[in-house]
Amino acid sequence: MTDFMPLDRRSMLERALLLVGASAAASVSPAAFAKAAGSKPTLAPAAFTLLSAVADTIVPRTHTPGAIDARVPAKLDALLVTWASPEHRVSITGALTAIDEMARSNGGKGFAALTPEQRKELLVAHDIAALKAVPRKEALTGIEALMGKAAVADPGYAKLKELIVILYYYSQEALTTELNYEHSPGGWTPSIKVTPETRADGGLSAF
Amino acid sequence: MFDAIVVGSGMSGGISAKELCERGLKVLVIERGRKLVHGESYTDMVQPWDEPNAGMVPEEDLARHYMIQKNSFISGTTKQYWVKDDENPYSYPEGKPFYWIRGYHLGGRSIMWGRQSYRLSPQDFEANAKDGHGSDWPIRYDDLAPWYSHVEKFIGVSGSQEGLPQLPDGEFLPPFGLNDAELQFKAAVEKAFPGRKVIPGRTANLSKAQPHHEELGRSSCQARSFCDRGCTYGAYHSSLSSSLPAADRTGNLTIVTDAIVHSLVHDPKSGRVTGVRVIDANTKAGKTYEAKVVFLNASTIGTAQILLNSKSDAMPRGLANSSDMVGRNLMDHLFALSVAGFMPNAPKDSYYHGRRPNGIYIPRFRNVTEPGDFLRGYGYQGGLTRLGWRTAALTSPGIGAELKERTHKLGPWLSFVSGFGEMLPNPENRVTLSKTKVDKWGIPLVEVNCSHGPNELKMAKQIIEDGKAMIQAAGGFVVNAATEPGVPGLGIHEMGTACMGKDPKNSVLNKYNKAHDVPNLFITDGAAMASSGCQNPSLTYMALSARAAHHATEFLKAGVI
Ligand SMILES: Cc1cc2nc3c(=O)[nH]c(=O)nc-3n(C[C@H](O)[C@H](O)[C@H](O)COP(=O)(O)OP(=O)(O)OC[C@H]3O[C@@H](n4cnc5c(N)ncnc54)[C@H](O)[C@@H]3O)c2cc1C
Ligand code: SF4
Repeated sequence: MTDFMPLDRRSMLERALLLVGASAAASVSPAAFAKAAGSKPTLAPAAFTLLSAVADTIVPRTHTPGAIDARVPAKLDALLVTWASPEHRVSITGALTAIDEMARSNGGKGFAALTPEQRKELLVAHDIAALKAVPRKEALTGIEALMGKAAVADPGYAKLKELIVILYYYSQEALTTELNYEHSPGGWTPSIKVTPETRADGGLSAF
Repeated sequence: MFDAIVVGSGMSGGISAKELCERGLKVLVIERGRKLVHGESYTDMVQPWDEPNAGMVPEEDLARHYMIQKNSFISGTTKQYWVKDDENPYSYPEGKPFYWIRGYHLGGRSIMWGRQSYRLSPQDFEANAKDGHGSDWPIRYDDLAPWYSHVEKFIGVSGSQEGLPQLPDGEFLPPFGLNDAELQFKAAVEKAFPGRKVIPGRTANLSKAQPHHEELGRSSCQARSFCDRGCTYGAYHSSLSSSLPAADRTGNLTIVTDAIVHSLVHDPKSGRVTGVRVIDANTKAGKTYEAKVVFLNASTIGTAQILLNSKSDAMPRGLANSSDMVGRNLMDHLFALSVAGFMPNAPKDSYYHGRRPNGIYIPRFRNVTEPGDFLRGYGYQGGLTRLGWRTAALTSPGIGAELKERTHKLGPWLSFVSGFGEMLPNPENRVTLSKTKVDKWGIPLVEVNCSHGPNELKMAKQIIEDGKAMIQAAGGFVVNAATEPGVPGLGIHEMGTACMGKDPKNSVLNKYNKAHDVPNLFITDGAAMASSGCQNPSLTYMALSARAAHHATEFLKAGVI
C-alpha cells in the first residue's frame, strides 16, 4: 500500500507547479511578502516583510516554488512562538535586524526594499561571513561530537537560515518538486541506477 | 484472584503475558502509563509538512520536561512516548551522570525501540565463569536457543544466515539487502581483516510478513522508517502490534493502565508473594491485586525499585534480596563511539529506494578472532548512505538558486559505524532508593550510581581505532568521530539489577528466572541479565520471558509453586 499514486517525476513536478501557480519567473515582489503571512503574523509588519525578503533570497522561486510559495515566513513566524526559546527568539530576530541594518548602512534602503539582485549580493557575502567556522567554546561530547554542527561566527543567522531551509524542504511544495518524497516507499530496493532525473530524497534524514 | 500478574507491558512484559495467556493462565498486566491504542495513537501517517514545529520539540519543553530524555532520540513526532523527567524524578551523584531513558505507557519502550535483534552466543553465557566478573550464568546458550527461535518466529526478525559462533543465526525473514556501497565496504573490510564480517542488521521488522503475523493484523514493512512513531502496518514488533494482541485473543488477558506498582505483598509464613500493591496514577487511590504467580517486567531499574521498596520485617533489605545483589551490577552498553567517513570510491551511479529501517552490523571480533587488551568485546551498527538534503543545504555557505541546485542532487556516500561495547558487571554500579525523597505517589526516588571502569575505557579507544581502520581500508577518509563514550544509560540497554546465577549468595534469580528467595516470583526483564554481551539485548529478555513463562506454568500445574 502506498499513499501516493505512482506518478512519474515529471508529471509530479508539473502538477505541483500548477498547484502553486508558478511561472519560471525570478522573484516575488515585496508587496507579496506581506500577503504571504496568511493569518496574522506575530512579527510586526516591517519585521515580517524583512523575514519574507530574507527567506525569498535564501530560497527563491526558480523553475520550482520558493520559500514564499511554501509559506515559509508565516511558518517561521509561528515557530518563534511555538518552538523557539526566548534566547533563540532574540538571536533569530537579531539576525534579521542585522541584515536590515547592513542594507541601510550600504545604501540607505531597508533589505526588503532592495531589488532581488541587490538582496542576493548582500546576503551572499553575509552568509559567507556569518557561517565562518570559529573555535568552539566547549568541547562536544557523546554522539554530539559526531552529529553536532560546527560553531560559526553568527549562530543567530545560522539558525535563521537553517529554519528557513528546513521549513522549505519540509513543505509540500518542495517535496513534490525539488526533492523526491514518498511517505510510503512500499519496500526497500537496495540498488537502483542513478539517472539524470534522480534527485535526493526529502523528509527524514540523519545527515 | 488471577493466575498471574505481569508488572509492565513493555518488551518483556508483552511476551510474558502472551506466553502465560497462551498456556491457559488468567493474566493481569499492570501498567503504570496511560493506554495507547495500536494505530490510533500513532503519528506515522503525519506528512512532513504537517509535522508540528517541523518535527522539533519546543525548546522550552525540552528544558522543562525532558532534561534527560532530550539526550536521546526524542523528536516532535515522538515526544508523547518519552517520560517527562520533571514528573518522574530520580537522581545521580554530582558529576557522575546516568541518563535513564524511559517510556511509560502501554507497550513501554517496545514502541520506541530500534528493533536490532541479536542472540547472545555460547561465549557470552560463559564469559562470567571464564573471567570471574559477575555471577556465572545458570544457563548456557543451548538452554535458551529454542526460546530464541520461538520468539524470533513470533516477532519476525529479518536477517541473514552467517554461521558465526559469536552471533548465532536464528529463524530469519529475508534480510534487508545491503546497498552497493555497503557491498563494496563489506568486500574491502572482510579482505583487509579476515575474521571480521559486515552483515545486514538483524531487525524485528517484517521484511515479509508470514501468515501468523497477518493473523494478528500485521503486514510487511513499507520501508518508511517511521517506526519510532508507532507503525500502523504493525510491521515491526511491539507489545501493541504483536504480543498483547496475541495475549488478548486467548480471552485470558486483563490489562489495567495508569496503575503504578508500589511494592509486592510478601507473606512471611509461606515465603511467597501474594499480591501487588498499586497506586492509581491519577487519583492516587491504593489497591491490591492478588495472583498465584508474579512476573516483574517493569524494566531493569523499575523492577529494582519495586523489589527494594517491597522490604518487610522478613526481608528488610528488600524483596528477594538476601544476596544484597538487588540493584547492583547495573550495566549498559558503551554507546555513541562512532566514526564517519566519506567514501570517494563508492559507486556514484548507484542509489537505493526506500528508507530502510535497518543498517549494517559488524559482529564482535575482539577476543574472538582477534585479541584485545581488555576483556569481552564490541560490535558495530552502521551503514553507508548518500548524504542528504540537510547536509547539502546547510554545511557550507551558499544561498539562492545555487543552494537549491546543490540540494536536490544526490550527495556523496558517507559511511558510519557506531560501536556497542560490553560493560562488565560491577556490584558498585548500582540502583538504590532515596531515604528521604519520594515522588508524587509517595514512592522513594531511584538513585543511580554508575560509571565506566578501566576495561570499558580501554575498549572505547579500540572501538574508535578499529572503526577508523575499517573505513580507511574501504577507501574512505574519516571526517568525524565521537571518541568519548556516551553517559551510561544512553545505550538504553540498562540491565543486571537482579542477576541470574547459580549461587543464591551472589545472585537473585535461578536458572528459571525465579527468585532464589521467593518461589512464585519471576523476573524476566533486563534486570535478570548476569552479563550484557555486546548485542542489543531485548531479544534475550523476550526469550527469557517465554522460557520462564513455560516453566512457571509447569511449576503451577505440578503444584510446586
Ligand atoms: C530509542 C530506543 C532504541 C532502542 N533500540 C533497541 C534496539 O535496537 N535493540 C534492542 O534490543 N533494544 C533497544 N532498545 C531498548 C529496548 O527498548 C529495551 O531493552 C526494552 O524495551 C526493555 O524491555 P522491558 O520490558 O525491560 O522494559 P520496557 O519496554 O521499558 O517496559 C517496561 C514497562 O513497565 C512499566 N513500568 C515501569 N515501572 C512500573 C511500575 N512501578 N508499575 C507498573 N508499570 C511499570 C513501564 O511504564 C513500561 O511500560 C531501545 C530503546 C530505545 C528507547
Ligand atoms: S519502516 Fe516498516 S516497520 Fe517502520 S514504520 Fe515503516 S512500515 Fe512500519
